[in-house]
Parts: sequence; structure tokens; C-alpha cells
Amino acid sequence: MAKRERRFAYALLMPAVIAVFALIAYPMYLVFAISFREGKSLNFLALGKRPFGVGNYIEVLGNSATWHSAWVSFVYTAGTLLPAFAIGLLTALLLNQVFPFRRWLRSLMLLPWAVPGVMVSIIFLWLFDASFGVVNHLLRAAGFISTDVAWYTDEATALFAVIVPTVWKAYPFFTLTLLAAMQSIPGDLYEAARMDGATLMQRFRHITWPGIRAPATLALVLNGLWVFREFDIIYASTGGGPAKATETLGIRAYNEAFGYFYMGRASVIGVLMLSIALVAVFIARRPMRKEFF
Amino acid sequence: MGRRWLWTMLAALLCVAFLFPIYWMLTTAILPTSKVLAREPMLWPAFNEISLRAFTAVFERKPVGTWIANSALVTLGSTLISLVISALAGYSLSRFRTRAQELTGLTLLLTKMLPGSLIVIPFFIMASTFHLIDSLFALMLANAAIGVPFATWMLKGFFDGIPRELEQAAMIDGCGHLTAFVYVILPLARPGLAACAIYLAILSWSDFVFARTLINDQARWTVTTGLVSFIGEHGIDWPALMAAGIVSMLPMVVLFLLLEPFLVSGLTAGSQR
Repeated sequence: MAKRERRFAYALLMPAVIAVFALIAYPMYLVFAISFREGKSLNFLALGKRPFGVGNYIEVLGNSATWHSAWVSFVYTAGTLLPAFAIGLLTALLLNQVFPFRRWLRSLMLLPWAVPGVMVSIIFLWLFDASFGVVNHLLRAAGFISTDVAWYTDEATALFAVIVPTVWKAYPFFTLTLLAAMQSIPGDLYEAARMDGATLMQRFRHITWPGIRAPATLALVLNGLWVFREFDIIYASTGGGPAKATETLGIRAYNEAFGYFYMGRASVIGVLMLSIALVAVFIARRPMRKEFF
Repeated sequence: MGRRWLWTMLAALLCVAFLFPIYWMLTTAILPTSKVLAREPMLWPAFNEISLRAFTAVFERKPVGTWIANSALVTLGSTLISLVISALAGYSLSRFRTRAQELTGLTLLLTKMLPGSLIVIPFFIMASTFHLIDSLFALMLANAAIGVPFATWMLKGFFDGIPRELEQAAMIDGCGHLTAFVYVILPLARPGLAACAIYLAILSWSDFVFARTLINDQARWTVTTGLVSFIGEHGIDWPALMAAGIVSMLPMVVLFLLLEPFLVSGLTAGSQR
């Protein structure tokens, strides 16, 4: 590459590099730096004067509440991914067929993706309202319950009540990526299989599934990362309660930082979350690399 | 023929089921509070009960208009910042293969893993240091931090689809590389730029964690923070809240309907979310 060309290439890249350093790399460095500053402080500018040490790590990692949150995060993530993936796969299979009004129905089916997380939360708070919510009304009418279920304020049901809206917002991403993958499978394969008398199930197992497996894995990882760090839906509906029943690691970090002003402890939880995410990505690095490099 | 309409029926049924929450939000907004707070809610709103009172009431009682204007400003600003930076970087990554490419790929991955509730801590400290708490500009930058990595990768994909021969021909005719990029490549990338801009706009319109943490002054809240403030109140006014929600969501729904064809046909899995 000519010297002038290279200079041009770097000049174009420069604003992005500056943005990444100022807005991502430096903030990340700050998180690590703060995680070693002990105690709490209302004066955020004086954090550098707080004693330096690993006290936050000992406190956070030794606290059973942290591991409770890790467990809640796990249940929340897995509980969202499984149904969302199933819905996404089924809807993608359906939308991969040719039928009238497909373009419009596809748009409608993907719509929840565009609804802001906070709004999703508000809509479901209303649907699951204990006294006047339509869900309780329908359950009463069908005879499943005799007394109202306080979905968001009962410890036993709160986690379920935040998983449902998350599934609703998360499934379109699966529909989208799986549908895109299905549409890149050549139609002749299905034609040939039909000639050979393959059943619907056989066609799925031997043509569709191998064709979408890599994108499906990638979509699971990406959506998993998104659910794992999801904040808006839980924070707006329960704030982590009742009695920490919906306190994922992300919510816990935020509450430590902006509820109790333990910036150091919050940063440690952040570092812990990042490590968990890194491990997940490392496990799934093969399909990721194929997609990114 | 019959089989095809069967698929349509099935898809329509699924849509009805999946979009019930949105339907319920609409009916709640157009019914009077007395009918909404009922043990036996109307599944179909009776025609003579319909009123648009909630839509006017919510604008009178809360500065919803101001919040929407703030959201619009932040969304516009952050989308513009991200788009300019990412178009340059995306083009550079598409045409020149250097180590920078792999580094950017890694950065992208990293930002996908960064929880908003984590990165907001250093952002809050940085904003405090520079006296940028309550500044919509700081909020734009925070949203751009999330937007730039996504958009860069997304646009690189679009530039990859434009043959190099085009700008090479322009350069043989005497154009500089920058001129060729601005006058030949950018116009061709317009659909990609539009899709990317819409995607960025939806992201920053939805932002809650930055807006809630970096902005205290109620007059500078964005619409997400404003809507959540309804929930803390004693006795939530559901029709008003739903009306405000519908108004705030409308621009995004329109943008989404414009973006949707690109999402399925054009973008690879890695570029979303």
C-alpha cells in the first residue's frame, strides 16, 4: 500500500479510534481503577483519594447476595433464551414460506423489537396488574385462580413476571437472524429432497438445521449477552425487588452505585459480569470468529 | 393456493397473539379511567365509551412534549455523530486491510458485552468531572459510545458490497481518494446509511440507563425517564400513561416499518443488537 493511501486509511479511522478511546477504553479503565478504591463516597470526584486495596473484591465475592444475583441472572437469561429461541425458530420457519401478505405479517411479527425496553416494562406492568390487569381477569374467568396474583410484588412470581416481557422483546431478534439464514439456503436442496421423498421433518433435520446452525449459535450468544446485561425492563418494573427476587447482577451493580454510593463494589460486580460474558464468548468463539473476521 | 392462505391465516393468528400487549395499550388509552379500572375490563372497547381525553390530559399534566423534544434532540445528535464517525471508519475498514480491522472487531465484541449499568458508572464520573451532568450533549456522546461500534461494522458490510472499481475509475479520472469517496461511494451507500441511521435512532430513543443517570433536571429528561416516573406514583393513571407511551413510540414504529425490509435482506447477524 502506498504511503499516501495508508495515511488516508488511518485518517478516516481516526475519529472512530478517538471515540473508542474516549468513550469505551478510558471508561473501562476507570471501572477497573475504581474497583480497587474502598469505602463509599458521595463525592465522586474524590474517589482517587479513597484507600487502595482489594477490599471490594473480598467484600463482593464473599457476599452471598452476589451469588444470589448471579443465580438470578442465570435463571433470567436461560428462562428468556429458551422460549424466545423456540418462538423465533417457529416464526422464522413460518415466514420462510411463501404466502399472501407475508411482507406485512413479517413486519408486525418483528415489531416488539422496536418497542423501547422501558415501554415494554410499562405495558406488562399493566397487563399483569394485580387488581385490574387483564391477565388476572382472564385467569379468573377461566377458573384457574380464585384470588388475584400480585405478579410483580410476590417473590414467587416476580422473576417470571420480568421474564415474560423480556421474551416478548427478545424473540424478534431470533426470528430475524434465523429467517435471514434460512433464506440463504439454496431452494434446489429442498427440491431435490422432495424428489427423493424426504418428509417435512427430514428436510428440516438434514437441510434447514445444518444451514442455520452457525447463525443460530451466534444469535444465541448475542441475544444471551443482551439478556444477561438487560437493565431497563427489570429496573423499570421491580427495581430488583421484591426481596431481591429479580436482582440480577446488572441491577445489583446499579443499586450499589447509585442507591448506596458504593462505586467500588459496583465496579467489582461490573468486572465480574464482564468476566462471565468473556467466558461465554470464549466458549462460543468459533461461530463468532466466522462472523466477525 | 389453499395451502398458501392457510399460512397467512396462521401467521395472522400469531400476530394477533403476539401483538395483544400493544392492542391492550391502545384500548386502555382510549377508554375512560372508570372503565379501565374495572374488575371485568372490556376486551372490545364499546364505541360510545371511546374518548381521546387521556391524550390531551397527559400533555397538560406532565411536560411530555418537552420530554419528547429532548429525546428527539438527543436521538438526532447521537445518530449524526455516530453516523459520520462510522461512515469514515467503515469505509476505511472495508477498503484497507490492516491490524486495525481485527482490533475494531474485538472492540465491537467488547461493547456487545459491556452492560449499560456498568459503563454508566464511569460516564457518570466523567460527566461530573467536566460539569456535564444535566447536559444533553453528554447524553448524545454516551449514546454514540454504544452506537459507533455497531454502525461501523454495519456500514463496513455495505461498503464491501460496492465494487472498488467504481472509485478506482473516478481516481483515474483525476479525483482524489476523498473526493471519490464523497461523490461516488457515499451516494451509492445511501440505502445502507439510511438503514444504519434508523437503527441508531431506535437505539438511542430507547435509552434509559444513561438518561436516568446523567440527567436529574426534570425539564431535561428524555421520554423514557419521564414515562418511568409515572410508575412511582400512588395510583397510576393508566390511560394517561398508555397515551403518553403511544405518542412516544409512534416515531419508532414508523422508523421500524421503514427499516424492516433492510433487516431481513441486507444485514448479517453480527450487525444487529
